[in-house]
Amino acid sequence: MPVNSISSTPNALVQSLMDMRAQFDDLQRQLSTGQKSATYAGLGSGRGLSVSLNAQLSQLSGFDNSIDMVDTRLQLAQTSLGGMATIGNNMKALVVQGDSTGGNASSAQLTAQSSLQQLLGLLNAQAGGRYLFSGRATDQPAVETYDHIVNGDGARAGLKQLIDERAQADLGASGLGRLTVGTTASSVTVDEDTGPFGFKLASASSGLSNATVTGPTGSPANLTVNFTGQPSDGDTLTLRLNMPDGTSENLTLTATTQSPPGNNQFTIGGSIAATVSNLQGALSTSLGTLAATSLRAASAVTASNDFFSADVNNPPQRVSGPPFDTATAMTAGTTANTVIWYTGDAGTDPARGTATTRVDPSLVVSYGTRANETGLRTMVQNVATLAAVTLSPSDPNESNFTSALGQRVGTGLTGTPGQQTVTDIEAELAGVQQTIASVKSRHQQTTATLNDMVQQISGVSNEQVGSELLTLQTRMQASMQTTAMLYQISLVNYLK
Amino acid sequence: MSLTQALTTALSGLNAAQTSLSLVAGNVANSQTPGYVRKVAVLTQNSVGTDGTSVQVAAINRVLDQFVQAQLRTESAGAGYADVRSKLFSQLQDVYGTPNTTSTLESSFNTFTSALQALTTSPDDPTAKSAVLTAAQQFAQQLNTMSDGVQGLRQQAELALSDDVSQANNCMQQIAQLNEQLSAAGQDSSAASLADQRDAYISQLSKLMDIRVINSGNNQVTVLTSSGVELVGAKASTLSFDAQGVVTPQAQWSADPAKRTIGTVTLTSPNGAKTDLVANGALRGGEIAGYLEMRDQTLVQAQAQLDQLAGAMASALSDTTTDGTGVTSGAQAGFDVDIGALQAGNTVSITYTDTATSKQHQITLMRVDDPSALPLSNNATTNPNDTVIGLDFSGGMASVVAQINAALGGTGMTASNPAGTTLRVLDDGAANTVDVNAMSATATATSLTGSVAMPFFMDGSIPYTGAITSTGAESAGFAGRIAVNQSLLDDPSKLVAYQSSIDAADATRPNFLYDQMVNATLTYSPTAGIGTAGSPFSADAGTYLRQIISVQGAAAANASSLAQGQDVVLSSLQQRFDNGSGVNIDQEMSDLLSLQNAYAANARVMSTVRDMLTSLMQM
Repeated sequence: MPVNSISSTPNALVQSLMDMRAQFDDLQRQLSTGQKSATYAGLGSGRGLSVSLNAQLSQLSGFDNSIDMVDTRLQLAQTSLGGMATIGNNMKALVVQGDSTGGNASSAQLTAQSSLQQLLGLLNAQAGGRYLFSGRATDQPAVETYDHIVNGDGARAGLKQLIDERAQADLGASGLGRLTVGTTASSVTVDEDTGPFGFKLASASSGLSNATVTGPTGSPANLTVNFTGQPSDGDTLTLRLNMPDGTSENLTLTATTQSPPGNNQFTIGGSIAATVSNLQGALSTSLGTLAATSLRAASAVTASNDFFSADVNNPPQRVSGPPFDTATAMTAGTTANTVIWYTGDAGTDPARGTATTRVDPSLVVSYGTRANETGLRTMVQNVATLAAVTLSPSDPNESNFTSALGQRVGTGLTGTPGQQTVTDIEAELAGVQQTIASVKSRHQQTTATLNDMVQQISGVSNEQVGSELLTLQTRMQASMQTTAMLYQISLVNYLK
Repeated sequence: MSLTQALTTALSGLNAAQTSLSLVAGNVANSQTPGYVRKVAVLTQNSVGTDGTSVQVAAINRVLDQFVQAQLRTESAGAGYADVRSKLFSQLQDVYGTPNTTSTLESSFNTFTSALQALTTSPDDPTAKSAVLTAAQQFAQQLNTMSDGVQGLRQQAELALSDDVSQANNCMQQIAQLNEQLSAAGQDSSAASLADQRDAYISQLSKLMDIRVINSGNNQVTVLTSSGVELVGAKASTLSFDAQGVVTPQAQWSADPAKRTIGTVTLTSPNGAKTDLVANGALRGGEIAGYLEMRDQTLVQAQAQLDQLAGAMASALSDTTTDGTGVTSGAQAGFDVDIGALQAGNTVSITYTDTATSKQHQITLMRVDDPSALPLSNNATTNPNDTVIGLDFSGGMASVVAQINAALGGTGMTASNPAGTTLRVLDDGAANTVDVNAMSATATATSLTGSVAMPFFMDGSIPYTGAITSTGAESAGFAGRIAVNQSLLDDPSKLVAYQSSIDAADATRPNFLYDQMVNATLTYSPTAGIGTAGSPFSADAGTYLRQIISVQGAAAANASSLAQGQDVVLSSLQQRFDNGSGVNIDQEMSDLLSLQNAYAANARVMSTVRDMLTSLMQM
C-alpha cells in the first residue's frame, strides 16, 4: 500500500524507508526462526516440493518407528526360539542316551516335565503386551498352562486322560492289542478287532513245516496257521504288526522241543492239538508283552499327536467311549470336554503372514509366528508325551516301555527331512531382521538427503541473513541520514 | 492627468502583489494538505486612458497536470484492486499455516498417516488406535478451522464491500454537489478550492472503482465506470449493497436473484432504473472489484479445494466399488450389478463403446433422494468426462429401470431388473451398434462393521455420500463439517474389528485405511481449479494436498508481487503529480521575496507620485 500522501514531501523516499524496515523485520524473523518464510507463498517455487518432502520425511520416520518396533519383537521372539531349540536339543540327548531310570517318574520324565513348563513359558513370550506366538490373536496367550495341558481343566480333559483313554482302546480288555488268538482242532487263528485301535496285522511269514499260513485277509483282517503235521524244532513264524503311530514290529515265535519254552518260543507238543494250544499260549504271551511296551508307547505318541494337532476350529480326535477298551471309532472332541493347548489364532494361512509391517513404501515384512507351527508343535508334543505318560515302576515291562517311548520321542524331536524345525523359524526371522536393518540404514541416508533439500527450500543460512542484515542496516542509516538532511535544506532557514 | 494615473496603477500593482502574497501564504499553509493543488494568480495588464497600463488579477489558477492526474486515477484503481487481492491472499496464506510447523494441514495429514502406519504394525495396541483417532480428529479440526478461515475472509470481503460501496456512494454524492456549486462559481480562489475538493473525491472514488472522468466544460465533470456506466452526471446515481450477515460455503453469487445468497452491487440511476453491476461485469478495477473477485472466485475455489480433499478422503475410507458380473441374454451381452446398497450420491458407472465411432463413453447413474435436484449437471461427479443421470429411487426398482431406460434411449443399451435389487444393462445384441465394456456400483458403508471400508469421517453425524439436493451438493463446505465418526471414537476397537470375531492383531482394516490414505488414487473435480476437464487431477490425497499448497502459494506470491509492482507505479506517478502540482516551499519563499520587492517598488512609485504632487502643490 503506497503511503497516502499527507504532504508533498518525497513520497517514494518514505515508502522505500518503510519497505526497508519491513525487510529488516523479516530478516530478523529469519534469523530467529531459521525459516525462510512464515507462509507458503514466501517459500518460492519449491513450496510444493517441500510439502512432498515433508510427507516423505514423515513417512520415513513412521517406517523407522515401525522398524524399531518390529526389531524389538523379533529379538524377543528369537530369544524365545533360541531357548526352545536348546531345550529340544537337551531332551533329544537325554532320550537318545536312554537315561530312563528312576522311581515313580523316571528322571527323564522329570526333565521332560520341567522342559515342557519352560517351553510353554517361552511360547507365551510377550513384547509390549503382545503375545508373540499367538498369530493374529496377540491379545491372548499362545498356549494353555502346563497344568491344564497335562492334567486337564475340570470337565475338559488333558493330555494324560487322552493318553490313558487311547491306551485302553489300543490295548483292549485282554491287553493283547485288540487281537483275539483262537484255536480250532488243527489251527491257530488271530483276529483283528474292528476300528482303528490296537495291532493291525500287516503280514505273516512262516518257516513252519507242515503248516500253512493263510492271511492276513479280510477286514477286519484275520490270520490262520493250519497244522497238517508237527513243525520241526527251530521253525519260525513271524507276524508283522502295524502300530497306531505308523511304526511296525515283527513278532517271531520259534518252535522248540524244550518245555517250558523260552521267550517267544512255543513247545512242539505230543499232538497237533497240543502244539496248536502251545502256539496259542506263546502268541498270547508275546502279544501281551509287545502291547504293554511298543504298542503302549505308540498309543501314547498317537494320542499326543491327536491332542497337539488340534486347534479351536478342529478339537482333538478322541476315543469314542466309555467304555474305551471296546471302542471301535474315534470321535471329535469339543472345546467343552477337551483342553485345546493352542489358544492363539487358528487360521490355516501361513503363520508369517499373521504379523506384517510395511517398512518401506514397497516392502512389507512378515514375521508372525504361531505356537502350533510344525517346528514348535513337534517339540512341545514330543516333550509333553514323555512328560504325561503314567509310569508304574512295579511293572516288569516298564523299562522296555520307556525305551520304546524314548526311541519314538527321539525320532519325533529329530523330525523327518523337509519338516519344519525351530531352527527354520529362527532362520526365517533372522532374514527379516537383516532386511529391516538394511532398510533402516537406507532410510537414514534418504532422510539426510531429504532434510538437506527441505533446508534448501525453506531454511536460511545464518551467514547470508547476517550479511544481508548488515548491508540493509547500512543502507537504512544512509537513507535516513539523507532524508533528514533533505528536510533541513529549505530556503525558510536562510530567510532573514 | 498622468500622475493620478500612475498612482492608480501603483495601487493596482499593490493589490496584485497582495493577492499573490495571500496565495503564497495559502500555498505555504496548505503545503501539507492532501489533495491541495498549488494556486497561482494570473495577472493581466489593463490599459487605462491613453498612456496608462495597470495590472489586474484575471484568475486564480490551479497548477495541474491533467494528463498525470488521469493516469494517476487509472493506476489508483489498479493499485486498489491489487492491494485488496494481495492483502486477502496473504491472510489466506495464514489459513494454510506456517511451513514446517504443526499448524499446517500437511503436518496434520502426515501425523494421521503415520499413526495409521503405526496401527498397521500394532493393530492390537490400544495406544496406536487412540493415536489414529486423535490424529484424525486433529486433521478434521484443521480442515474445519481452515474452512472457517476461508469463510471468515469471504465475510470480511462482504463487509468491506459494504463499506466500500457506501464510501463510493458518498464520493459520488459529493462530486455531484460540488459540480453544482462549481457551475455557479467564477474564476476565483473559492472555485479553485471546490475543484480541489472535487478532485479529492474523484481520487478517493478511483481507488474503489475503475472510473473514467470527462470534463464536460463549464467546470463540470461526468464520472463513468471504465465500462461506461454513468455514476455521476447531472446528478449522482446511488450504489447499494445488500450485505449478508453470515457467509457460509453454500452462499454463492448468482445472476439469478432467487438463487443469490450473498450481496451484490446495485446501481440506481437518478431516474430510478436499477442495474446489477456484478451481473453485467461493470466493475473491473478498484477495491470493489478486488473484493468481489476474492469473495466469488478465489476464496470459493480455496474452499472447494478443501472440500474436494475432505470429500475424497471420506469417500476413500467409506466407499466400496463392486464390479458387475457379466451376463448374456441371447445375442445381448452386458452386466449385472446389485444397487440395493446405494445411498443418495452413490453411483453406478457404465462404460460403453459406440461401435460406429469406436469411441468409449461413460455414464454415471447417481441416486438422488431429493427429486427437485433433478436433472443433474454433468459436473455432479468428480469425473468431468461422464454423462451424469440422477435417479429417483422412491418409486422402487421398476421406476429406476424406467428412468435409466429413458436416459439410455439413444445409446442402444437397455436396462432391466432380473431379480431383487439387481440392475442389468445389456447391449443391443445382433444390431451391434453398442458394446457395454464395464459396469460397477459404488456404495458408502454406513456401519462400522460388515465391510473393510467404514464411515471413518462423517458429515456431522451422517455418513458422507456426496448426495445432491436442491440446496446444492453435500460436498459444498464439507471441509467445515468433516468429523471423525462418533461411534468410532466411542469404540476404537472398530479400527481393527471390521466384523465380529476378528483377531486382535488382524491388520486387514488398518492396512486398508493406510493404503487408501497414502496410495489410493482419488479423482478430484477440476471445478476446484486443480486439473482440467481434459485431464482431471487424480492422485493420492497427499499429492492433492501438495497441489493445493502449491497453487495457493503461487497465487499469493503472484498477487503480492503484482501489488508491489502496482505500488511502485502508483508511487512514482504520485511523485510526478506532486512535483508538478504540489507546494514547494523553496519556490514559495523565492516568490515571497520577489513579491516583497514588487510591493516595495509599487509603494515607492506611490511615494514618488506623492512627492511630485507635493512639489506641484508648493509651487
